[in-house]
Amino acid sequence: MIGSHLLALLVFSALASVVFATLLREDQKNRVRFALMTFGAFVLSAIVVGWLMFPFPD
Amino acid sequence: MEKERVIVAERRAGAALPACLFAWLVPGAGHLYLGRVGKGLVFLGCIGALFVLGVAMDAGLQMHLGFDDPLAFLRSLAQMALGAPYFLARAMGFEAGRVTSVTYEYGNTFTEVGGLLNILVILDAYDVAVGRK
Repeated sequence: MIGSHLLALLVFSALASVVFATLLREDQKNRVRFALMTFGAFVLSAIVVGWLMFPFPD
Repeated sequence: MEKERVIVAERRAGAALPACLFAWLVPGAGHLYLGRVGKGLVFLGCIGALFVLGVAMDAGLQMHLGFDDPLAFLRSLAQMALGAPYFLARAMGFEAGRVTSVTYEYGNTFTEVGGLLNILVILDAYDVAVGRK
């Protein structure tokens, strides 16, 4: 269904971020900000870890 | 005034068990039961989507109980935390998944994280029910 690694990462990050923001923040403005920050952290950390793993394919 | 507060506290304590049970059975249902409709729908949509996408990506839903393979046991516990959807999907024949599928591990991750998030949602429903939130 989702064949692309990047698309899977984006969908997963978006869904998990929304749940975390809804759980951990009470007002709407803070929720949106927290969700965006969490989403960015998920995606950025995955890309950074991917780069770090690049020299070690096995 | 004090008597009213005690009655409200007792009602909330009485709502904690059904709220947690509903929250486990269907993600978000605990919050819907407690009148937190917005939060309940967000949890239902997001955790439901994680599970459905995971199953669509050929996740394995095998139930592994016992400590001979501890990681598989923990994985099963995480998936079981999704409640009714997990058991329903197993009953509908999605138990085995497809190990050869490119997205098999993605599917596993989606379903396991969905279950782990649902544990946090159950704890949040408990906090709401007892008046901490």
